[in-house]
Amino acid sequence: MIRGIRSELFKLRTSPGPWVAAGATLLFTALGIVVVFLVGRGHGQGVQFIAPTSVYRLRRLIGAGFAVGGVWMAAIAGVLCVTGEYRHKVMTTSLLVEPRRWRLLTAKASASLIWGIGLAIVSLLLVGAMGIPLLKTQGGSVSALLDQAGAVLPGFFAAFALLALFGAGLGTLIKNQIAAVVTILAITFIVEPVFDGLLPHVGRWLPFAASAAVAGGLAPPNARIYLLSWWLAAIVLTAWGLIPILIGYFVTFKKDVT
Amino acid sequence: MDSATGRADAVAIEVSGLNKRFGSIQAVADLDFTVAPGRITGFLGPNGAGKTTTLRILLGLVKATSGTATIGGHRYEDLDRPLHRVGALLESTSFHPARRARDHLRMCSIAASIETSRADEVLDLVGLRDAARRRVGGYSLGMRQRLGLATALLGDPSVLILDEPANGLDPQGIAWLREFLRYLAGEGRTVLVSSHLLAEMSQTVDDVVIIADGRARASGPLASLTSQVRAAMRVRTPEADRLLGVMAAAHWTSRRLAHDLVLVESVTPDQLGPVLARSQIVVYELVNQSTDLESVFLSLTANEPVVQPVTTSPGQPSVTPP
Repeated sequence: MIRGIRSELFKLRTSPGPWVAAGATLLFTALGIVVVFLVGRGHGQGVQFIAPTSVYRLRRLIGAGFAVGGVWMAAIAGVLCVTGEYRHKVMTTSLLVEPRRWRLLTAKASASLIWGIGLAIVSLLLVGAMGIPLLKTQGGSVSALLDQAGAVLPGFFAAFALLALFGAGLGTLIKNQIAAVVTILAITFIVEPVFDGLLPHVGRWLPFAASAAVAGGLAPPNARIYLLSWWLAAIVLTAWGLIPILIGYFVTFKKDVT
Repeated sequence: MDSATGRADAVAIEVSGLNKRFGSIQAVADLDFTVAPGRITGFLGPNGAGKTTTLRILLGLVKATSGTATIGGHRYEDLDRPLHRVGALLESTSFHPARRARDHLRMCSIAASIETSRADEVLDLVGLRDAARRRVGGYSLGMRQRLGLATALLGDPSVLILDEPANGLDPQGIAWLREFLRYLAGEGRTVLVSSHLLAEMSQTVDDVVIIADGRARASGPLASLTSQVRAAMRVRTPEADRLLGVMAAAHWTSRRLAHDLVLVESVTPDQLGPVLARSQIVVYELVNQSTDLESVFLSLTANEPVVQPVTTSPGQPSVTPP
């Protein structure tokens, strides 16, 4: 199994899609960092650029990649990990090397999860390279920021990893790469906002709301009252990954490769 | 492959009672054949005959409706580290276009527990050393075929299953492939090659399995099959009716293939020519029905066989009338 996971990670490393996802994560993180420093003056007087001092804003600086949407890229990377095989007909080669399909799919899901953690690390590196210097130049406290790391990082990594697993599940269920990516975007921008607005008690069970609950302190305080507890959200998000993988395994992955 | 002796372990391919149905289409029907080690077996059939489906069942990519297809007595999916036992080339598009050739092979090596240095060895073997770091998207069809062959050879397998390996190769490439397959079979490897290039196959293969409509039409040594083709002459004439009458009077078997085309069986040009001259029949074309692989193939995959059906016995070819 280890060699299968290593091979899947090698595939991700040697194809452009996952790197595009990494680049987009950096872009969203950079945006997230800037947004944390922008604070409204109130009464329509514009915004000012000041260092975060509150616990919530410091946490949002650490998790800048999550808050603005870099975490979506983890889901998209998971999709690419599975659907890229079908799109480029590499599945034939993969199954010749590992004909036991459940092993291949497990390796893919594991590699997606690891790539998701990789994206989280990339995001954090940018926070270190861009966010901390900005914090210093604006007179903020780096030690105050680091004090919040323990509260943020476990949920931050878990959210990236589990959303990548969710992406892998969706990719297993929907073989068409474009359709799977569009589905991710539709869930993010249409389905979840609609549920959040109209039926928040239902919406909190959806994947991105669950990822916000897993990430805990990164969610806006007014949204937290609707979110699941972090441990229940982690179970829900894992289920959002594993159930499509299981269904996809029987519905599409086990089918004839012609 | 036995590294000490340089000889491959003798592994046979066996297909028995194989059936595959896609909805209402019977792609493979009661297919039986074996492929012997140390020989090159050509797997021949017209488009849609079921060749690729059979190979994909053999390689665990397609599930058979019934019957078995085994390699060394095992289903492909039951093989431990299959790349070490079986090398397969299925289609030239099975590569990520943005991935470098070397990386494609290294990716397979990692999954199959093969030293990654083997990637360079097989690239060298198929003549792609200089293009190893190029992205596959920029490869020609012939280069992709070579890369596919390199992938098949990665685990130094004792069985090779190649689907149309000559596709996209230039004449030099085809000649190279022929010698290469001979070399591999000479090492005791089992080589099964599907192709529609009959002239090329006739120069390459030892045995043939011919299928049409998903059914085996003939199998056995190529020489035995071609020896069974009956001599025959095709005559194109505007006097087809009169020719059929003359042939009947001469007690030769003949039949009309088209309104101006007649096939006369079991005659040679030396025998038929004088009869046509004496009868003063106008002839536009007189063609000697050759006895090569193409003739065998065409006769077995058309409606009317030219090959005599025979009973299967050890060492003899098996022929089933269409």
